[in-house]
Amino acid sequence: MTKRYVMLADITRCINCKACVVACRAEWETPLGHSRDWVKEVELSTTDGFPIVQLFPGRCQHCDDAPCVEACPSGAAWKREDGIVLVDDALCSGCELCVPACPYEARWLNPETNTISKCTFCQPRVDEGLQPACVQTCVGGALKFGDANDPDSEVSRLLREKEWVQLTTAEVPGGTSHYYHTGGAPLPNEVLPRPVGEHIQAALLGNVVNPVASVGIGGMVAAFLGAGVKKIIDRRNALAGEKENKHE
Amino acid sequence: MSEQREPRMIMVRDLWTIRLHWFNAFGWALLVASGLGIISGDSLRLAPAFWPEFLQGLFGGNAALITGHAVVGLVWVAGIALFVALRWRTVVVPFLREVLSITPWAVIDDMRFMGITLAKLFGFMKDAKLAPQGRYNGAQRLLGTLIIVASLAIAVSGLYLFFAPKLFSFAASPVFGFLFRTALLIHAAAVFLVLIGLVAHIYFAVVEERESLETMKSGYASVEFIHHHNPLWYEQLKREGKV
Repeated sequence: MTKRYVMLADITRCINCKACVVACRAEWETPLGHSRDWVKEVELSTTDGFPIVQLFPGRCQHCDDAPCVEACPSGAAWKREDGIVLVDDALCSGCELCVPACPYEARWLNPETNTISKCTFCQPRVDEGLQPACVQTCVGGALKFGDANDPDSEVSRLLREKEWVQLTTAEVPGGTSHYYHTGGAPLPNEVLPRPVGEHIQAALLGNVVNPVASVGIGGMVAAFLGAGVKKIIDRRNALAGEKENKHE
Repeated sequence: MSEQREPRMIMVRDLWTIRLHWFNAFGWALLVASGLGIISGDSLRLAPAFWPEFLQGLFGGNAALITGHAVVGLVWVAGIALFVALRWRTVVVPFLREVLSITPWAVIDDMRFMGITLAKLFGFMKDAKLAPQGRYNGAQRLLGTLIIVASLAIAVSGLYLFFAPKLFSFAASPVFGFLFRTALLIHAAAVFLVLIGLVAHIYFAVVEERESLETMKSGYASVEFIHHHNPLWYEQLKREGKV
C-alpha cells in the first residue's frame, strides 16, 4: 500500500523551545532570516480574563490539492504519491508565482539558491527511514511523523486516540497532511490559512488570456470548419445545377 | 509579327524568402507543441493535462523539454535575424512597407476588408464591394502586422524566460521576478493571438486560395491571379514593366 505521510502537532505538549526551528535550520542550512518551520505564539484570554498563550508549530501543511502545485508554471512544485509536496530545484526559476498561492505562507525565495524553499518533511531523511529533523529533536514530544496508512504506526494510533483538527477554512478547504491537537480548544484566527492569492500576471493568464485563447482558437477552428463544409455544399449544388442544365 | 502576350506566370518570391516562410512555419509547429507541454500548473496551462504529461514523459522530464524548446527557439530567432540582416534592403524593408498596417485609418480600412471577406465566406454581404488591394490584402496586412509585433514580443520574452534565471539573482530585486512573470504572460498571450490568426491563414491557403499556397512553394504566381486578387499590385507591376 502507498504510504501517506502525516505530521501531528500536539500543541498541548509544545513548550516553545524552538528546538524544531533550530534543527530545521541546521539540517537545511537556511540563510539568515529564513526558516522552513516556525512556532506561532497566539495570546488569548479565557472567558474569565485569564491570559493564555497557545503555541502552534507550523510549516508547509502538504495540502492534498496543493495550490502551489497548480500555480507553478514549470512543474517545479509537485506532490509525491505519499503526500509530500516538493520543489524540483532544477526546474524552479524563482518566479515566485507559487508564493502567494500558499495559504500558510510557507514558501519563500531562497537568496542563496534563487529557488523556492519550503518544508519537505525532510524528504531525504524520510527516504532513508529517518524522522524529520524537527520531529527527532522535539523536546516535548509534540511533533510526531509517520505513515497514516500503516494502522500499526504511532501516528495512526494517535490519530485514533485523540481529537485532531486541520488548518482549513471555508475559503481554503480540502485536507492536508498536517494535524493539530488543541485539547479541544478552538483554532484561533491567527493560525488559520489566508485565502489563496495570485500575482496579477497569473490572474491575467488564468482568467483572461487562456479563456480568450480557448474561445478564440476554438471559435476560429469551428467557424472555418463550417466555412469549409459550406464550400463543399455550395460546390455540390453548383455541380448538380450544371448537370441539370446539361440534361435540359 | 505576332502579338506579344504577357507571361502567364511571374516570379514574386525568391527561394530564400520561401525557405524562411517554411522555416518559420516548422519552427512555430515545434515551439507551440513543446511550449504547450511545458506549462504544467493547472491554473496556468491552456493544453489539456494529458499533453504536458505525455510530452514531459517523452523527454524524460520538463527540464529536457524546456531545453529542447529553448534550443529550437534560439535557432528560430537566429534564423530570422540572419535573414533580416542579409535581406534587409532587398526583401525586408519592401515587405514591411507593404504589410504593416499602422495608422488608425489603415487599420480601419483593413478591418473593413477583412470583415466583408469573412462575411462573404459565410454567404453574407454578397453585394458588398471590396476595395481594390495591393500586394497584400487588408486581412493579410492585419495578420502580418500582428505576426511581426507578436514575434518580436515572443522572442524578447522567451529570451528573458530562459536566460534571466541563469543570469540574475531573483532574490536581489523583486523586479527580476516581476519581469519574469510578465514575460510569461506576454509570451503566452502573443502566441495565442497569432494562433487565432493562423487558423484563418491556413484555411485560406489550403482551401480557398490554393494558388497562393503553390506560390509559397514555387515562388511563381499567375498574372491572372494577381490581376483578380491584387489589382493595385497588378497596376504597379505593369508600371514597372514586369507584366
